[in-house]
Amino acid sequence: MILTRRQILLGGAAALLPVPAIAAPEYRLMPRQVADGVWLVEGAQESITRQNGGAICNIVLLETAQGAVVVDTGGTHRHGAALRAFADQRLGGVAASLNTHHHPDHWFGNGAFADRPIHALPGTIDAQRAGAQALSDGLYKILGSWMQGTAPLPATISVEGDLALGGRGLAVMALSGHTGADLALIDRQTGTLIAGDLLFLDRAPSFPDADIAAWRKALSTLGGLPISGTIPGHGPFHRNSRAVAQTLAYLDAFTARMDAAAGLGLTPAETLAAGPMPDFAHLVANPAEYCRAVVQQWRAHEISALPVIGGSV
Amino acid sequence: MAAILSRRLPGGDAGLVAFGSGVTAPDLDRGMWDSHREGLLGAPDAWRSDPGLCLLAPRNAEDARHVPVLADATGLGPVERIVVTIDYSPFPLALVFHPGRALPLLGFGVKYEIAGPIRASALTGAEWIMGGAFIDAMGGGCSAPAATHARPDWQEGFGEMRARLWPDTGRLRVGIRHPMDTGLADGVPAHHLTDLTLTDARGDEIARLEIHEPLEENPVLTFLLPPALAQGPVRIAARDTSGFRFSGEVAA
Repeated sequence: MILTRRQILLGGAAALLPVPAIAAPEYRLMPRQVADGVWLVEGAQESITRQNGGAICNIVLLETAQGAVVVDTGGTHRHGAALRAFADQRLGGVAASLNTHHHPDHWFGNGAFADRPIHALPGTIDAQRAGAQALSDGLYKILGSWMQGTAPLPATISVEGDLALGGRGLAVMALSGHTGADLALIDRQTGTLIAGDLLFLDRAPSFPDADIAAWRKALSTLGGLPISGTIPGHGPFHRNSRAVAQTLAYLDAFTARMDAAAGLGLTPAETLAAGPMPDFAHLVANPAEYCRAVVQQWRAHEISALPVIGGSV
Repeated sequence: MAAILSRRLPGGDAGLVAFGSGVTAPDLDRGMWDSHREGLLGAPDAWRSDPGLCLLAPRNAEDARHVPVLADATGLGPVERIVVTIDYSPFPLALVFHPGRALPLLGFGVKYEIAGPIRASALTGAEWIMGGAFIDAMGGGCSAPAATHARPDWQEGFGEMRARLWPDTGRLRVGIRHPMDTGLADGVPAHHLTDLTLTDARGDEIARLEIHEPLEENPVLTFLLPPALAQGPVRIAARDTSGFRFSGEVAA
């Protein structure tokens, strides 16, 4: 076997790297049209890992005469750039983009859309500004080189009411529950609901900023809409009310489990170790999401199980 | 492990087995263990791990300010004390639990400054039994200001004590509203609980806990009492570094 000088140099350089040298990661998008002019790039039904590059949430691109309206921009700058390239090459560029909420898998690709307006609810923009650094630190730790070039760019325009972007009408619902500000949209042309992370389907919901009572209320709003199809934040496009029913059932079962555990005198460590509710144990991203959710939500349930018996003397 | 109550939840038995049941990983004799054994446990000659000591902890600290842990040494013989240490913490000594007439089980939450092992070492006779778990963490839990300092008046509700006794399982859970300031956050002096004592109706001590900086803000502690003591009442008394005293009484 004859090695060229270049191969030897490359091999030598690779040996010096602290982590195993792997091929530069690449986002492979598979956009598919689910309704007239509604393109869905389905996220991996997984947690954020070094394998999927953080491309886990659903991205929607709506065709207009002035280019695509992009709903959520991906989990890294390079993810955003891949989405942008698809829009530029196939959909005549980008008219505007939107962020449904402040979780990083939905907006860390904003940098690739910085030359166009980026819309989000005011509460989302505040949370993006406040949380950018911590979220970025966390993602760099998990994703490593996938994050190259990612400098979180909060949305630039507050959504105050219904929108018409590139001539395409969008009914805007400013809701909350999954986070403090959750944007849900209905594409008027096709009647497609773009629900953001208020809806999960066949994947365990994530709770880091959840207000379960508000989330239930949002679900009752979403459950009563006259729509032709639903794109959840995570999970497949569907034409029935499965995601609303499943997300609601998960919230109810989780709340009941926390109340039961706190009422029986369990510690949070035991509650976490017990794993998810049996009916939902098979969902993708469980037991990881359940364990995270116990830590995030435990305190409220514990407080109501422990009466005040004394204080400072 | 029989004292672990995960099984009381539907599917909890299978969940606990899948979680790993709190059994100590075999490679946990590294990190700061040699140094802490010498400096914090009095340099004992003999130590070993034992399935009779389980330590339940999450693999990742989702919130570095509140990492829930349960140390269950009820599978060992009589335990004189349990020492909780955190390998790379700026405050490696977290708690010293003297179970006395209670059972050697302690639930608590800690702040995590950096990823690494947490250990509960139980002294039984002349022998130390160590149980532990590695917890991954973004960290910063010990150097961040307590959440209460973001409010206009951190003293509102300060010292409030909550507790409940479960006579059927012998569980006692006690919470005290306290910032547990470590002194590492900018401009916030150290102010934390130092000890907590459980006494019975006659005033005799049941168990005692020495508390150090890593205990979480607004800590909730879990104890296990034998059936006679679990009927209550139990008196709880605690002190902090500023001389505040806290007390309350809980009946079954």
